[in-house]
Amino acid sequence: MKSIALGQYYPSNSILHRIDPRIKIILAILYIVCSFLCKNIISYAVLALSAVILILISKIPLKIIFGGLKAVLFVLIFTSLINIFWTTGEYLLLDWLFIHIYLEGIYAAIFMVIRITALIIGTSVFMTYTTTPIDLTDSIEDLLSPLKKLHVPVHEFAMMMTIALRFIPTLVEETDKIMTAQKARGVDFSSGSLVSRAKALIPVLIPLFVSAFNRASDLATAMECRCYHGGDGRTRMKVRHIRFVDFIPLFIILILGTSLVVLNILGIGFTM
Amino acid sequence: MNPFIKVSGLSYQYDDVEESNNKAPILNNVSLEINEGEFVAVLGHNGSGKSTFAKLLNMILIPTEGEILINGKNICDPDMTDDDVLELRKNIGMVFQNPDNQLVATIVEDDVAFGPENLGIAPDEIRKRVDDALRDVGMSEYAHHEPHRLSGGQKQRVAIAGIMAMMPRCIIFDESTAMLDPMGRKEVMNSIVRLNREKNITVIMITHYMEEAAMADRIVVIDDGRIILDGTPFDVFEEEELLKSCGLNVPQSTALVHLLQNDGLNIDGKCVGLEECADAIAALILKEV
Amino acid sequence: MSEIVLENVSFYHGKDTPYEIKALKNINLTIPSGKITGLIGHTGSGKSTLVQMFNGLLTPAEGRVLINGEDIWKEPKKIRNVRFRVGLVMQYPEYQLFEETIYKDIAFGPRNMRISEDEIDERVIQAAEFVGLERELLDKSPFDLSGGQKRRAAIAGIIAMRPEILVLDEPAAGLDPRGRDSIFANITEYQKKSGSTVVIVSHSMEDMAKLCDNLVVMAAGEILMSGDRATVFSEPDKLTAVGLDVPQITQLMNLLAKRGVPLAKGVYTVEQAYEFIKNNLR
Repeated sequence: MKSIALGQYYPSNSILHRIDPRIKIILAILYIVCSFLCKNIISYAVLALSAVILILISKIPLKIIFGGLKAVLFVLIFTSLINIFWTTGEYLLLDWLFIHIYLEGIYAAIFMVIRITALIIGTSVFMTYTTTPIDLTDSIEDLLSPLKKLHVPVHEFAMMMTIALRFIPTLVEETDKIMTAQKARGVDFSSGSLVSRAKALIPVLIPLFVSAFNRASDLATAMECRCYHGGDGRTRMKVRHIRFVDFIPLFIILILGTSLVVLNILGIGFTM
Repeated sequence: MNPFIKVSGLSYQYDDVEESNNKAPILNNVSLEINEGEFVAVLGHNGSGKSTFAKLLNMILIPTEGEILINGKNICDPDMTDDDVLELRKNIGMVFQNPDNQLVATIVEDDVAFGPENLGIAPDEIRKRVDDALRDVGMSEYAHHEPHRLSGGQKQRVAIAGIMAMMPRCIIFDESTAMLDPMGRKEVMNSIVRLNREKNITVIMITHYMEEAAMADRIVVIDDGRIILDGTPFDVFEEEELLKSCGLNVPQSTALVHLLQNDGLNIDGKCVGLEECADAIAALILKEV
Repeated sequence: MSEIVLENVSFYHGKDTPYEIKALKNINLTIPSGKITGLIGHTGSGKSTLVQMFNGLLTPAEGRVLINGEDIWKEPKKIRNVRFRVGLVMQYPEYQLFEETIYKDIAFGPRNMRISEDEIDERVIQAAEFVGLERELLDKSPFDLSGGQKRRAAIAGIIAMRPEILVLDEPAAGLDPRGRDSIFANITEYQKKSGSTVVIVSHSMEDMAKLCDNLVVMAAGEILMSGDRATVFSEPDKLTAVGLDVPQITQLMNLLAKRGVPLAKGVYTVEQAYEFIKNNLR
């Protein structure tokens, strides 16, 4: 069970990997905004192109990107079908029995697929594929740190995230061990009715909870012994400094957003 | 010179006597002095109170009775400020039994940095301490690994590095080798011995492995919350019957020497280690022949 | 007669992933019936994978697992029955306790076998006796017991299934000397009374030397050595090369040999060493 990958981080040394993670979070948010700015064929084409460029410079194998999209394949197909069959418009393409397909429906489906795909590629390429979960957590803490003044427990929240990330593999391994132990006592997890399968989980869940609580209590003692006393007066070994080059991608994405708006105003191509 | 740790009349009992099955105190009137730089093994069977003793030394638990002086400062004083507690825990580090349950971060070097970060040390200084600590336990090449991919012995060495980075004067090992395989135990024991010999760190090692206790300068045996033996490994292992009566044992080599001595054979030297025992027994056999 | 035979068994962890490891490499092995067999190897040698082959928790990628000459995977749907015939006590088994009382927990395995309540009761009482758990503990919650008692209760839960073959993975891990000795005494006693086949996985050479008639040493997914104690412990260099040791007392005997004392062969316990030295003094 040592092969569990934490998050979807793909180790590489691309430009995207090297951008400051705090900037990357902002980039991801701006990219989402951009995807919602698209209104016509040309702007969607620009969006699709930008997604392709992102994949290319991230150096992440296409196999992994498509693997990530597979999870939303159902959503993509479902929304396309709804758009194709239920959108009405001026240009009727097919009229057969109760099925009416309009050109607008086809366009709407294509646009929707581009938007969802770009959303997923954008957020995963900016964040999960190129940033380790721990960098993400630390950056979110940094970005939200102004909220500390309002007594929002930002540090505590980030600490919880870090500990969760640290213990997920441990608990997955433990679940596997407990399941094996109960199988050795004759529990059958894979056959029987839904009720009996759910019942078979009790001998796994109870020991798992007990052990998780014990671990939590041990960890709390260990943290106290290592002088943990909340976020006050705490320093960090790894201090990140935002360099000038980190701002360049911000400019690029702002240009992308502006050009999308301009394209919308010019209204070139098919508009939804 | 004052002893580094001075414990007098220490007792501990659970607050809620109703709930625990055992109404007897966990620790009963324990007095003990430990000097700076000593390597002390604390032996006792499960439930003898030896782990409780460790937890009292850095204020994880508060004694019911008695006094603990660390470096001349009474830590049972109700006037201890939060800063005093931090100072104490910085000076007396603790490594626990389960290697998984004491690592906080998802990357080895970040975990080692956790203690110094809590102490508010400057980033450059932390970096230096982390690198030094990882080198001291021989884990430098694993600095960027994820803890859950390491072996038990390696995890425990990372935990030791995490304590070392706080620059403590004393480290308590609470059965830190109990969950490891022989290889992991050897790795961790080597690190412990090196810290004591080379960095002059006071080591208090709680264990129930006789072979490990034999490596210490001094062994303290706790049974039913009392100290029943306190001396060099040789002196303590001499009391084989007493050790057995409280659920402990002696190393096999010592057991053999005792069997031979019971037969009236004269075995010279205070032999504890394997090599010394071999020397003594070989001398005996070769002399007779 | 309850013999386990492995024929050319191979197994991979994480098959078809970048992390694929061949955990077992063409294992050919016979676990003799009615004896205590010790399985030795350090972490990652494949011994925990191997014991999960014995009761069909893992399926061999290649090769066959036979119990009394019968392939356990002949009818994959009936593999659960094999788990009742080969009882496996996993490492730190106290982490699997979950019922409200010890009694119910020990009864869990037998209940999965769908036998009568009377028989379950009889088996629970007997299993508790085998592992030395007092009657009055049976009505307690597992979480009120000491570490050693929990361990015993978990072992009783497997014994109550009355397996023909009992496999224990590190049954004494983390226990103090008294706890270790008494768990091993219980296991030896159980083996004598029931006459069943027992396999013990352990790191402790001292314990293995005391307990086992037959030893199997694993390293890097292969059987490094197997046979009786004399055969296995006679080659300390081979053991140390894979990170294992001979018992401390055997090390002492080897040190004596280096100092000119005639080499003591077949000495694995303190008593044997004592006899040997006495004989040499005469």
